[in-house]
Amino acid sequence: MIKNKDIMLKIGSFPIVKEKTIFKEAIEKMSEFNLGILCIVDDETKLKGIITDGDLRRMLLSIQKPFSAFFIDDVIKHSKKNPITSFPEENIKETLIKMNSSKVWDMPIIENEKLVGLVHLHPAIKNLVSKI
Amino acid sequence: MKKIKIGYGTVNKFEISKSSSLTFIGGPCAIENNDHALYMADKINEICNKLKLNWVYKSCYDKDCRSSLNSFNGVGLEKGLEILSNIRKKIAVPVISDFSNPAWAKQTGSVCDLVQVPAYLCRQTSILKAAAKTKRPILLKKGQFMSPWNMKNSVRKIEEFGNDQIILADRGTFMGYNMLVNDMKSFPIMSETGYPVCFDATHSVQLPTSMGNVSGGQREFIPSLVRAAVACGIQVLFMEVHDNPKKALSDPNTVLDIKYLEEVLEQALIINDARNKILTKIGEDKVHLND
Repeated sequence: MIKNKDIMLKIGSFPIVKEKTIFKEAIEKMSEFNLGILCIVDDETKLKGIITDGDLRRMLLSIQKPFSAFFIDDVIKHSKKNPITSFPEENIKETLIKMNSSKVWDMPIIENEKLVGLVHLHPAIKNLVSKI
Repeated sequence: MKKIKIGYGTVNKFEISKSSSLTFIGGPCAIENNDHALYMADKINEICNKLKLNWVYKSCYDKDCRSSLNSFNGVGLEKGLEILSNIRKKIAVPVISDFSNPAWAKQTGSVCDLVQVPAYLCRQTSILKAAAKTKRPILLKKGQFMSPWNMKNSVRKIEEFGNDQIILADRGTFMGYNMLVNDMKSFPIMSETGYPVCFDATHSVQLPTSMGNVSGGQREFIPSLVRAAVACGIQVLFMEVHDNPKKALSDPNTVLDIKYLEEVLEQALIINDARNKILTKIGEDKVHLND
């Protein structure tokens, strides 16, 4: 049985920023990785929010202020505060079912309230396909 | 909103916060001499006591931003701080002065209850660091060339240097050449930093260097702008005052004649009180805040 911990991206392999990172630097961090998600954590690495490429796209149409003002906002201000998450020991099948029903590409993995990984759909599929 | 603790030693001590009443910062732009400074402090103190208003005496020892070398640029660091120290002793009021050279910060902070970062220097890391290291509360003026949201960069620098006692002030924004305007949105925007905000009414009516080698000013607009800013929501009102503006050695065209001080402050207090009542009744602003 494959668990989240077996295929999740480890810390350092996906974008993570602190709550008070300004939006412009957060977007730069997102662009360093080929993923459409950014995780926002506090000083204890607790997950405080996420931002996805889709969120950015929607923000472009909804934010009614100059880009210079938007770019300097704290990233946490525009984040999704309670994303669905999973835990390392959960069966990947359960995680993928949740991701499918929620229509998300990524699932932050939490252990003892701390962010420890990210299940991203592509590596998960690649892993599963290799085992078929 | 952060609580800013004003005053050390034997002067009047108070806090500036979301729930505190309005605080006034005022005095002649430049320290002219000991007798004049004491006279002004005494007169302003009389008015503020009558209005039950916490206040800080403001006057600078070095005016480094004069348009012309021929303009009076101050009594100097040593003499200026001695005069401010006298005011603290005799009037028991906290004092503030700006400093335009990082080397003057420590000495300024050893006497003054607050230190002021001049608007033109509000992005300078060396100035912000020196201000932070004084451990005194900092009045951080928004540069006339700065957007209110970009002041967050200066705030973050000060915080990084270990000081979280900051007040952000708007003193107008350049609209083309020789003209300032006030964007009243700057107060809620700068408040998002979590620090109290201040309106500098007298510099806001300045027409920078409009008279060739000196700045002009439209003092008749001071009351309107004060009313608007207080209604918008500020914790501190800043106005330079003088007993004889025509003979003021600095900013003669923008400084408020002290004969008008009480009526302007009284208007500010009435509006502040009304604003507090409105927000207590209706609640904090939430119109389209999270749409």
